[in-house]
Amino acid sequence: MLSVRLLTKITAAGSILLLALSGCDRKQENTDSTLYLIGGDFKGFDPVDSGDTESAEEVCRVYEGLLEYSYLERPYKVTPRLAEALPEISEDGLTYTFRLRKGIRFTDDPCFPGGKGREVTATDFVYSFKRMLDPRRQSDGDWIFIHHVLGARGWAEKGEFDAPLPGFVAVDDYTLQIKLAKPYPQLRWVLTMSYAFVVPREAVELYKKKFREHPVGTGPFRLKSWRQRYRIEYERNPSFSGQRYPDKGMPGDREAGLLDDAGKPLPIVERIVLYDVSEYYTFWQMFLGGQIGASALNKDYFEKAVTPQLGLSDDLKRRGVRLYKTPEPSTWYIGFNMKDTVVGGNNPKLRQAFACAINVPKLCEVIYNNRYTPANSLIPPGIAGHTEKPYAYTYNPERAKRLIAQAGYPGGRDKNGNPLRLTMIMPGAGSTDVRQMGEFFADHLRALGVELVAQQLSFAEYLRREHDGNYQVMYAGWIGDYPDAENFLNLFYSPNKCPGVNATNYQNPEFDKLYERIAIMTDSPERTALYEQMVDMVMADCPWALMTYPLTYGLYQPWFQNYKRHPFSYASSKYHKVLPH
Amino acid sequence: MSAAASKPESLWAIAWHQLRRNRLAMICLGILTAYIIIWFYAEGVFWRGRILDKTPTYKVAHYEIRNLPPSAHHWLGTNYAGKDNLLLVAQGTRIAFEIGLLTSFIVIPLGFVLGALAGYFGRKTDTVITYLFSVIGSVPDILLIIGIAYVIHGVVDRSTAMQALTRYVDSGLLSVCIAMGFTGWVGLCRLIRGEYIKHRDRQYVLAARALGVGHLGIMFRHIAPNVLHIVIINFSLRFPGLILTEVVLSFLGVGIANEPSWGAIINDAKQRLWLGNWWELAGATAAMFFLVLALNLFGDALRDALDPKLRTADTKSA
Repeated sequence: MLSVRLLTKITAAGSILLLALSGCDRKQENTDSTLYLIGGDFKGFDPVDSGDTESAEEVCRVYEGLLEYSYLERPYKVTPRLAEALPEISEDGLTYTFRLRKGIRFTDDPCFPGGKGREVTATDFVYSFKRMLDPRRQSDGDWIFIHHVLGARGWAEKGEFDAPLPGFVAVDDYTLQIKLAKPYPQLRWVLTMSYAFVVPREAVELYKKKFREHPVGTGPFRLKSWRQRYRIEYERNPSFSGQRYPDKGMPGDREAGLLDDAGKPLPIVERIVLYDVSEYYTFWQMFLGGQIGASALNKDYFEKAVTPQLGLSDDLKRRGVRLYKTPEPSTWYIGFNMKDTVVGGNNPKLRQAFACAINVPKLCEVIYNNRYTPANSLIPPGIAGHTEKPYAYTYNPERAKRLIAQAGYPGGRDKNGNPLRLTMIMPGAGSTDVRQMGEFFADHLRALGVELVAQQLSFAEYLRREHDGNYQVMYAGWIGDYPDAENFLNLFYSPNKCPGVNATNYQNPEFDKLYERIAIMTDSPERTALYEQMVDMVMADCPWALMTYPLTYGLYQPWFQNYKRHPFSYASSKYHKVLPH
Repeated sequence: MSAAASKPESLWAIAWHQLRRNRLAMICLGILTAYIIIWFYAEGVFWRGRILDKTPTYKVAHYEIRNLPPSAHHWLGTNYAGKDNLLLVAQGTRIAFEIGLLTSFIVIPLGFVLGALAGYFGRKTDTVITYLFSVIGSVPDILLIIGIAYVIHGVVDRSTAMQALTRYVDSGLLSVCIAMGFTGWVGLCRLIRGEYIKHRDRQYVLAARALGVGHLGIMFRHIAPNVLHIVIINFSLRFPGLILTEVVLSFLGVGIANEPSWGAIINDAKQRLWLGNWWELAGATAAMFFLVLALNLFGDALRDALDPKLRTADTKSA
């Protein structure tokens, strides 16, 4: 859920996430069936260690799991991948039975007898899940199972790998059962994540520490060569089993040409070549030069490509370039440490005053060129539980002044008459945008008589301070891991307090009770109503001053096809197509 | 000099005459005076805000006039938050001088005392001090400064005493000054050490020793006045280097965070340079250019005047 992925995205907030390149490596042949991409630095091909977006994306090219997201359908929907169908769920919601597809093979690799990839069985899933929970692997993804799967915590504490884990049962070669200690409707979402992908035991045992450089998966591609921090080459995995391009989409997809390849075998491109380039200027030149198929837009280049009316600039229009705009399932906020003696505690007035003092629409304009929109709920749009109800603490300097006086700091002064001084930690040492944002907040609080000191920290330091709850105020963001409000509400559940994901140390027994109820409910109007009630509860206490919802803007070339951004799925490259150009 | 001269001229008076004759040096001195006036003005604005507890004008954002080009109202245009660039550049002058002075408070005592000890006592003391400055001198300055600045940033963030201090001095400024102070003394230390080696066996020193003056007395009352000009020359030549380093650090985001230093202004300016907004960059760069140039030229002239042995050929022939 949190942070590794979150923080990579924070880093990417000003830079880029995904760029697809095509066609211009003149030395290569078959340019039209090769997808050229640009990626960032990533950790390697080990599903258990793929918490950041860059690693998740590479892992998803070579490995697969039981379930995946439907590429075109919205709202986000889970479909079976290595499972034959969605799981059968027992009456009590505690047993999930998966029937595996027959004939799925790992790609050929010297780790198998005779070098020929063998068939995937239920035992492989049990092995892979246990491997992810193994404390020696220190996977940051263990949260997807450890709280819910029967006996998972006990097994992990015991630390004997071959001891049975009662929650994962290989009934026969093609039947896998996951048994839960308590209902966990989010299981279907987390099973799409790269942490839950299947790996062969033979490869792990043969390559040991080098396993991260030797992926042996069932995915659409297989690794041909990897030169770290320079170039990765993938080729089509010959044993990839018969997945076809979807024939169902949303209204508008057909017109956008997204269904032209319906029914075609995947992957569509033969080869992927990925270069590690970290300078945005280089990407931009490559995009203009027609080498890159798609590019997210960073702040510096936004004004060059997009008009003030948020349309595409004439120059790019002439080139046939198209603009895409998708909301990201994330919320940015200013978090208050509820354990802090000044901003924390049961008196929400000071926090509310803080929230009312900040002109968020102006923030969007000045810092984000209106690429972000003001947030009105903890839960971002596109996720059940989000409402259009206006935010309770919109910018209102007069109200902020009244509130801060009621909080016991009239005119922003403390009892000794000194200006109240608050310290805010922000991720991104050395980033111009973050510094300007810090100045922006400080300027607004100064109008309230409060002195805000913005500390720009390195990510590692910021993470540690957040994790330890060692801060007063923080600027932070949460990026949803799956399209369920529960993923946002668990940030306020008191057993998750620091060092857990509840980084504000929010505690409200009533909220906890409701959370325990919704966490095991399946999607229903009743659950949505509870979500809204819980959001209101948190809003009243104001541990977060809501800031923004990001929108991703990007560009793609006319010859780069089948591109539809999916904020939760990292496995899109098998659908992409490159036309000769 | 005529025999009629009633009073011999002091070293400083000779140096001043020398400088007066150098037109370029006088122009530079004029420029420096202008900068000092701006500096005092900026300090006044800053402290007035502090004492009266008011937000100084340069800090007030006007979002409705962001990124304006130069005009009669805003001679250097406005920045991303609608703050007047000219006022920011003036405040940058304050930061530059503060940096130079605060750092010199660390560099001069440290370099002078260590250099004096090494040069005067020689032997083991010299070996230890030479080893120390050789090690520090061997690490590329900017890397060491960034490293130390980060560490000090961390210390400042954690200690409550330092937090209290940051009410008056920007925490970034403090850490940059300390970092530059601890790396910048090497050059001065070398020079002073050399001078002390030269002086320690001179007759006036031997005489003082014969009269029973203690080591400290000899070092600081007898030799020090004879090498003090080195400190002044070194200070005036090092000053522009310090300003430039701060600009580089702030540009890289390590330096001053909450006050408008030239580096931070240039860092902001780079975001819009490609849109053709040249004025943000021009203001800070020009301010820095003329100050550094004036300081360098004046420093050279001062060295020529104060240290006759180093006088350049044309002044010798004059």
